[in-house]
Amino acid sequence: MSAPATGGPLDAFLRVEGLARSFNGVPAVRDVSFTVGAGEIHALCGHNGAGKSTVVKMLSGQLAPDGGRVVVEGAVVEPNSRRAAQRMGVALVDQELSVVPALTVLENMLLGDVTAPFVNRRRAAAARCRRILDDMGLAHIDPDQPLAALGIGERQLVEIAKALSQDARLVILDEPTATLSDAETEHVFAAIRRVAGMGCSVIFVSHRLSEVLELCASVTVLRDGRSVATIPTEDLTVDELIVRMLGSAPHRLSGTRGPDRGDGRAMRIEHLHVPGRLVDFTLTATAGRVHALAGQLGSGASDALRALAGLQPQATGTVELNDRRVPLRHPARAARAGIAFVSNDRKSEGLFLGMSVERNLLATRLPGLARAGVVRPRRERRAALSLAQRSGLPEYRLDAEVLALSGGNQQKVFVGRCLGRDDVHVLLLDEPTRGVDVGGRAEIHRLLREAADRGLVVIFASTELDELLELGDVIITMRDGQVVGRYEGEVDGALLMRDMTHEADGT
Amino acid sequence: MIRSRLSRPDRLMPTVSLGLVLVAFLCTPLVSGKPLALFDLYNALQGFAQLGLLALAIGITMIAGEFDLSVVGTYALGGMLAVEFGQTSPVLGVLVAMVAGAAVGMSQGGLIAWLRIPSMPVTLATYIALLGLTYAISGGLSTTYPNGDATLWVDQTIAGIFSPRSLLTLAAFLSAALLLGFTRLGRELRAIGGDRRASRVAGVGVERRLVGLFTASGTLAGLGGALLSYSFASANPDPGLQPLILAAVGALLGGVSLAGGRGTPTGLLAGTLSVALLAQIVAVTAIPDYSTQLLYAALLAVIVAIESPGLRHVLPPRWSRNRQADLPTPAGTREAAGRP
Amino acid sequence: MSTDNGRGTATAPPVQGAGPHPSPSSAGRRPTAFAAGLAVLLLVLVALAVTAPRFATVDNVRAILASTAFVGITAIGATLVMIAGSVVSLATAQTATVVAMLFLATQHLGLGTATLVAVAAGVAVTALQGAVVGYWNANPIVLTIAAGFAIGGGATWFSGGTPVYPRTSAFEVLNSTPLGLPLSVYVLLVTAAVAQWVLSRTTAGRQLYLIGENRPAATAAGLPVGRVTVLAWAFFGACVAMTGIFLASFNTSATVTLGGTLTLDAIAAVLVGGTAIAGGHGSALRTLGGALLISAISDVLLLRGFSTGVQILAKGVLVLAVVITVHVRTTRSRR
Repeated sequence: MSAPATGGPLDAFLRVEGLARSFNGVPAVRDVSFTVGAGEIHALCGHNGAGKSTVVKMLSGQLAPDGGRVVVEGAVVEPNSRRAAQRMGVALVDQELSVVPALTVLENMLLGDVTAPFVNRRRAAAARCRRILDDMGLAHIDPDQPLAALGIGERQLVEIAKALSQDARLVILDEPTATLSDAETEHVFAAIRRVAGMGCSVIFVSHRLSEVLELCASVTVLRDGRSVATIPTEDLTVDELIVRMLGSAPHRLSGTRGPDRGDGRAMRIEHLHVPGRLVDFTLTATAGRVHALAGQLGSGASDALRALAGLQPQATGTVELNDRRVPLRHPARAARAGIAFVSNDRKSEGLFLGMSVERNLLATRLPGLARAGVVRPRRERRAALSLAQRSGLPEYRLDAEVLALSGGNQQKVFVGRCLGRDDVHVLLLDEPTRGVDVGGRAEIHRLLREAADRGLVVIFASTELDELLELGDVIITMRDGQVVGRYEGEVDGALLMRDMTHEADGT
Repeated sequence: MIRSRLSRPDRLMPTVSLGLVLVAFLCTPLVSGKPLALFDLYNALQGFAQLGLLALAIGITMIAGEFDLSVVGTYALGGMLAVEFGQTSPVLGVLVAMVAGAAVGMSQGGLIAWLRIPSMPVTLATYIALLGLTYAISGGLSTTYPNGDATLWVDQTIAGIFSPRSLLTLAAFLSAALLLGFTRLGRELRAIGGDRRASRVAGVGVERRLVGLFTASGTLAGLGGALLSYSFASANPDPGLQPLILAAVGALLGGVSLAGGRGTPTGLLAGTLSVALLAQIVAVTAIPDYSTQLLYAALLAVIVAIESPGLRHVLPPRWSRNRQADLPTPAGTREAAGRP
Repeated sequence: MSTDNGRGTATAPPVQGAGPHPSPSSAGRRPTAFAAGLAVLLLVLVALAVTAPRFATVDNVRAILASTAFVGITAIGATLVMIAGSVVSLATAQTATVVAMLFLATQHLGLGTATLVAVAAGVAVTALQGAVVGYWNANPIVLTIAAGFAIGGGATWFSGGTPVYPRTSAFEVLNSTPLGLPLSVYVLLVTAAVAQWVLSRTTAGRQLYLIGENRPAATAAGLPVGRVTVLAWAFFGACVAMTGIFLASFNTSATVTLGGTLTLDAIAAVLVGGTAIAGGHGSALRTLGGALLISAISDVLLLRGFSTGVQILAKGVLVLAVVITVHVRTTRSRR
């Protein structure tokens, strides 16, 4: 039902028709259509993996669509680079921070701006920058300050300010408020409304649904790569929007599995603190149960796991595993204490991509397979075979480069690396099925369940409701670096979603 | 204001190093027993001229996060070509050297930018090849430059302390400072060195900039080599690695980081002047040469210590305050909406 | 609610899918590409050699081997450092020089002791740099430039800037030529074999590849990044020390310029061996092959009457060609 939106108060500025894009044959976006009026603030909402970011990349010139078209003011456009998109008047706040810490605030504002003159006009630019910063509530920031001296939130604000200041005709904001506080968000909203008031169209992508309803005129809901509806926000509540995003709301009945075995083995985490990211995280995770941390980007769920794995150099707190103290801030010592960590970024912080499956599976257990530091190839091969079997990897691919595997199989290698080791007591997984197809996902879930059944402490962080409900015996919801709620047994998916995305605002 | 200016390493490093070396230079009469002469300054500037263009060439690539080892090769080749082609017309010789340097730099830059190869191995290979080419042209021997007029001209004293050679070098620094300080090129260069992905997303034409950069670097190195040959009245086919290392030291003392994203031509100027003055101090005071080397080692050790990511985590927090600045809480003072 | 308008894009063939999903034989692609490259090079070599006078004589093969040895030993050690992702050391020549001086200056203590002292010094100095790189993640280029100055300065201080002459000539043993080949050639072969064994058959060797391939991943996985890096640099130090000892014996005296162009020659040999400068790939045997190839090409050119300049030029072009080939090959499989 991708009929042109009726929500747009003015003439359609941007029309997206049947946009599609696949990666390696896996469709990320199947069929997305929507319309944004001039001066309209339009939201794109969807569950994780619904295709929001891919749509944003196609609109901003970073990806070419496989099908469909983009019409701006009646003319079909095909931006093939960021510069080309900019010349058409499309400004972008990327999901990843795209400001350069090495430059000053002012220089970042001007970087890549196609309208900036070749020879700097410092005074004019500085005055303009000052004005923009003041508008964003950043009066305390000096344009000549190096960006590296600002916090993450302020850097994000600078990036938003930059996009809003480019005199663009369409501003796309992809998760702009994930790392911002309420006060900062208010300034951002005011600035967005101001540019919209001047006739600029805005596409706003966010997980924070209450913000979406507050700011936007209409919402296009994406699900599984398709636009399923475009709805004016005045007709919507957060709960209705959640239902639209999820289709039928997932729901879990109580007592399906994962009883507390109560044999005393547990990981006790007390007052875990990461400056600026995680506040006073306390959790006792018992062996044999799967603990799920539910939280969106910036919620602190991922930071908690990283801190436990020793990868947050500023973490403080007390962590005990089976009553033995686990050192923080040292990945090698955490590993020795029996903590295995599966990062959410398997390409740059997980797998050794150019190496074979076997080498990857064995990477963390080499000393155990060797005698006096000398490897024993036959024994290694046997270990690799049994691991491959257990992780559901085809044996004949043991010698293939990990690079050549699908996302699902890559992730199986990553998880498999942590399995079948007597010296691992805790399994930490950050987004264990990111970029994994449905089949691979089920198998990885099976692996985690098995690991818990064998008596491991399993904690994973995820943004996906289905995964949280399917796998988590205990679900801890998080937002803004803090724990919001804790659920066992019967859980309503919509409730989790509310915790993760929505201010409690007294209700 | 001064404090805030100095809080940034790209200003602090060159200011401190040049200041220290200047003080030491002014104190040399205490050791040598002879008063400072204008001629000492002239000599120091001659040393600066010998090193300066090379330091500028390698420094600008370091700002963009690359490392152009081949500049010494271009330096040697430029010197040789200038001697070969500049016997009757010195200007022609300089032009040939610069064009050759530009061509070498452009082809390297093209490879590095479009194939996205790390610059180290490529420029290392080019360095070896250029050295071979220079050897082949000269037959492996120093080639004398018979045009005595040109030799006299480039080193004649102007205003007591300058020579056309040092003035040209200063002019190169000045134009680089103007170009990088007052146009979009400066911020784009540092952005490319600081975060290449973000630069692309922001809309910087990274590839074109890299090609231009390596072309400029090659041109500067070629010019430097040509001027040096005229000054020495001969071209040396193998300058060794020493000029490269000294140029890199000048750049590092000038506040440029090998990781990229930091540095200015004025900083480079100060760093290179420090190195040249230091050499002059050694010459005047006749202190043993190894003490300079040990001093360089100590200075670079400080740089290594400041810039090692691992060391920052070891140091107490107040040391690393400005570099690890993702501290402010996003959550502010929000209350937890806890549930039973 | 779904808008299945039948465009069929979901099942459309992947546009850029050909790259990241090579056929299952991807493991076999590496050797074939490399073999093809090597074959071409060998053909050229053979063609040149056959037409060159005296190339395929025993004496000439000996000459090639002998000229490979000094740089080769250091290059084998540098291979480990490069596999670990620490790029290169720019202090190689200085380290070799200092070791050579120490070796000659301690001759009166006996050949064994002198060798031991020299190797220990090389290992200590180099392993220290490795520790700074491994534990603190320091920039190896700046660090080794600094180390080069410190070592070079120390050498000048130590020698007073004059050549170091030994008091006895026990080291002459090292210049002997058992079975017609210089001793250094045997040391080169043994070093290559040991390095290859360490790389392929020991835990530390395996971990070295992993660290070089992806250091953040190795850190996150809890691998002993610091310790393994130090081991690699220590091995490198031992190799440089052996080169220094042979250089000292060959020249029977040591000056501050003894190391000469060792630094870059060693890196060139490692690169021609196909080791990627970013780390994670490479082998000691391939480096040996690279060093031999460079020597053989120089030799052929020499026999055909080309100047030193042309020989160096050919070396540079060879390094460039291999670097580009290796890079294109590895990145093509990643896109």
